[in-house]
Amino acid sequence: MKSAHILAVTRKEIRHILRDRGTLITVIFTPVLLLMFMAYALTVDIQHVSLAVLDYDQSPTSRAFVQQITAGSDLDLYGFVASYEEVERLLVRGEIKAALVIGPTFANDLQTLRGLPLQVIIDGTEPDSGGFAVDHIARRAETFVTQALANQLRQLGIDERALTPIDIRIRAWFNPGLKPRNDLIPGLISMILGMPALSVALALAHEREHGTLEQLMATPIGRGELLIGKMLPYLLVGLVDVVLIPLLAIAWFDIRLNGSFLLYFMLSAVFLFAILSLGILLGVFMPSQASALALSFLVIFFPGFFLTGIFFPLVSLPELVRLEAMFLPGTPYAIITRGIFLPALGIAELWPYVVMLLFQGVMFTGIAALFFRKKL
Amino acid sequence: MDDRPQTNPTTSTNSTNPTNATNEPMNPALQVTSLTKRFGDFTAVDHISFEVQRGEIFGFLGPNGAGKTTTIRMILGLLAPDEGEIEVLGQDVRKDPAGIRPRVGYMSQRFSLYNDLTVLQNLRFYGRAYGLSNRRLEERIAAALELADLKGREHIKTGELSGGWRQRLALGAAILHQPEVIFLDEPTAGVDPVSRRAFWDLLYRLIQQGVTIFVTTHYMDEAEHCHRLAFIQRGRIIALGSPSEIKAQKMSGQILEIACQNPSQAMQVLLNAQKQQLLPVTDIELYGAMIHIVTPQPKAAGERIAALLSENHIALESIQTIEPTLEDVFIAAMSA
Repeated sequence: MKSAHILAVTRKEIRHILRDRGTLITVIFTPVLLLMFMAYALTVDIQHVSLAVLDYDQSPTSRAFVQQITAGSDLDLYGFVASYEEVERLLVRGEIKAALVIGPTFANDLQTLRGLPLQVIIDGTEPDSGGFAVDHIARRAETFVTQALANQLRQLGIDERALTPIDIRIRAWFNPGLKPRNDLIPGLISMILGMPALSVALALAHEREHGTLEQLMATPIGRGELLIGKMLPYLLVGLVDVVLIPLLAIAWFDIRLNGSFLLYFMLSAVFLFAILSLGILLGVFMPSQASALALSFLVIFFPGFFLTGIFFPLVSLPELVRLEAMFLPGTPYAIITRGIFLPALGIAELWPYVVMLLFQGVMFTGIAALFFRKKL
Repeated sequence: MDDRPQTNPTTSTNSTNPTNATNEPMNPALQVTSLTKRFGDFTAVDHISFEVQRGEIFGFLGPNGAGKTTTIRMILGLLAPDEGEIEVLGQDVRKDPAGIRPRVGYMSQRFSLYNDLTVLQNLRFYGRAYGLSNRRLEERIAAALELADLKGREHIKTGELSGGWRQRLALGAAILHQPEVIFLDEPTAGVDPVSRRAFWDLLYRLIQQGVTIFVTTHYMDEAEHCHRLAFIQRGRIIALGSPSEIKAQKMSGQILEIACQNPSQAMQVLLNAQKQQLLPVTDIELYGAMIHIVTPQPKAAGERIAALLSENHIALESIQTIEPTLEDVFIAAMSA
């Protein structure tokens, strides 16, 4: 390994990046846009589900019930309707996501504690908002009944606390509001940093497509020197993203970084090494930029979504898939970033994942260098 | 552009002649023995052997797909051969594929330069790739710019240069580190005739500096510029030697050039006569408006042809023996 050779390749690659505004934007700004986009689009909070009410009871009690369930920002009262036909029309037009039907005996049944005559109609093509409406109405209805019951008990001189024999107090440590974004964003960073890896794969495939790779191979620059020299500039660019993304997350999404920024920065550099090695491996095996792009979705972005535990907990994956996930740099890195952002873990707890990333990086680069010559 | 041969004091023979080096002066520049490469069932290069002496321009000719690029890649250690030996400047390439790289230059097909970088940035990169730095790098770049006549164009984006300029820049980049042998793979493909001519002048200047040149081409007229050449077809060498040696070896007869009215009709008449074995000729080819005929008995054939054409009312303008071109020779060799 000669540093002069590596440096020659690195300088050239930086010139390419600076000259081609497209690459520069892809590598630095796309990750930022991606974060904004994904953080908003993937937020699991459902709010403002539009609800129509078909009230056959028309009593003060039923009106009080409707008022109670539509208080707050979860369900929005679209309005009262007069018939099922109207409900159907509104659902079809998408103006409401759910409808509540109150039976004519509502007030009476509540008084006599006979169970409430309620029906919830939801749009089955949107099970998420529909299910949310059902849960919400069920909870409110329970409270409503419990209150009515408590009133009656009080009148009979019985302690209403007998109604709630279990009282569990929940505290969510590290993420007090259980805000899903707090959990999501550290994980998302690992996917977003896949962009520099894609760029390095494309850069290598570009050289192959344009015949410059053959010319390069005829120079005294070694295979390893070439691969490392090509990786370095994208490592630098990736580090810009590494700093930019948490700053944005903190300023814009009100995320707290509980752990050490320095540790986060250093371990991110290790992750970049691993993911760029994966990019290099792609670039070595793919004959063209188009195929490199296609495969990068298969091995960088797609598993980033499904296998790294960002959206689906790792424990829910089958054993074999979990094993495969451990070979993707995104998996240990998602654990590392969450660990640093939320419970402020240090290197004492995180070192096994760092070792995993280093192992992956060395393995990917090694395989790439080994097969590089045959794949001219 | 100037296509006269140029003499230039800055690239004088003594200061830059690498072949005067003391080590192994007796080795040929290149020695290939029984070299073979197969891709599955297809034999791309089939037991070829040849030698290139120091200081000569060796032409490697053949149609597209004949195995030229595969051979160059094996010689440069970019592709592992299945059989055979390769020695470049006395070094065994199969044993150490990377060992000869600092001593040879390579200009691959399509002039592999970075089109988004400037002329200077390309030269700097290739210079550094060969370990040049600082003053020596700048000196060599200046010499390459001079040679390629690119002075004043250092800051132009390479992609904006015309084919001829890019071709000379690629050559300049390939000789920055003063290689002893340079390999040029189809260096003149897709370049206009004037630029091609100028490029060959450049190659002669390099030869004067003691460099050995191995060049592939499918232009027959360029073959005449080479000191020695090999003609490769379907992976095999079918002719090897200097242009005049090859002409003597491969031409079993002389060439008659016929000018007449309605040459295509005349072709029909002559081909029919040849089929019925009424003509003592081995080959008939249309050459533009002329007809070329290869024959061991030029006198008898000429008389027969004149008679045949007048029988068919085709006016004969002239008929004469001419010196065969290499193209004639190769067409004869290929159809043999």
